[in-house]
Amino acid sequence: MFVRFSIIAAIALLASGCASNPPTLGSKNTSYGDTKAVETITNEFSSTDLQIIAESMTRSLAQSGILRGRPVVQVYDVKNKTSEYIDTREITTTIKTQLMKSGTARFSSDNTDMQSQVDQIKLQNQSGLYKKATVSKIGNMIAAKYRLEGSISSIVKRSSEYKDVFYKFSLQLIDVESGLAEWMDEKEIRKTTEH
Amino acid sequence: MRFKLIAVVILALLAGCATTAASKVVALGKLRDIEIDAMRVARENGFITVNTQLSNTSSNNKTFYYRFAWLDPDGFPVAEEETWKSQMMYGEQTRFIQAIAPTPKAVDFRLEINTP
Repeated sequence: MFVRFSIIAAIALLASGCASNPPTLGSKNTSYGDTKAVETITNEFSSTDLQIIAESMTRSLAQSGILRGRPVVQVYDVKNKTSEYIDTREITTTIKTQLMKSGTARFSSDNTDMQSQVDQIKLQNQSGLYKKATVSKIGNMIAAKYRLEGSISSIVKRSSEYKDVFYKFSLQLIDVESGLAEWMDEKEIRKTTEH
Repeated sequence: MRFKLIAVVILALLAGCATTAASKVVALGKLRDIEIDAMRVARENGFITVNTQLSNTSSNNKTFYYRFAWLDPDGFPVAEEETWKSQMMYGEQTRFIQAIAPTPKAVDFRLEINTP
């Protein structure tokens, strides 16, 4: 029994070959890299900047203690005051995701998602298409206690030898009822390229 | 006696503990000209905060890369990997890097560090 089993195993091994080839297809010039690596290909706004900004802001906010009792926060888009195109929505999304994961806050619909939320609740209540018991009732949405808004600005200097970029990201948490800014933080990043 | 012991433990927790740096540092290769001197760990509003003192032993400016890994009581990561950060130090400079855990679930940490 053992001998037969061994022969079968040996044949299977020979047939499959010594599996040393990696399970890849295509050009060797393309590869997957570390998404957490420090990227310095050019000195424009990079993935590392996005990650560093989101990380430092969320941790500072989560640890500040202001979000005690998991308050409801509405996130607004980050204003881009730099001279380059930056998808600031991604900064907002990353900050929101990380705060959500830290378990310190709950989020109401963002200003950009609000229309979809309103459309859906109206559709459920006004179209008559849905079973009554399953319809989400009007008037139960939770209002935000705080709104979170930020901006990113830059100072760019060029000479024949250098290009220097200085980014400043600021984020503030504002109490909706009082209008008071309850928490605020900044992150500065400097990147210099020598030509 | 028992109360005294508890009081000492609480006091130590409140004051933050100076940890032996070596057990918390994972160096990727040999560290060149960068030394890790002391680490202070405290828990603020439920989140672990680590303050690390580093010094540049060379007289030239040096850049190093670092990130923290946050661990649960069993030594497994509690959050996604952090992004690597680049930090420049002037010659002979001593400076501090501060880090905050991403979630209150983190009870321990490792500092990954690399000098190019």
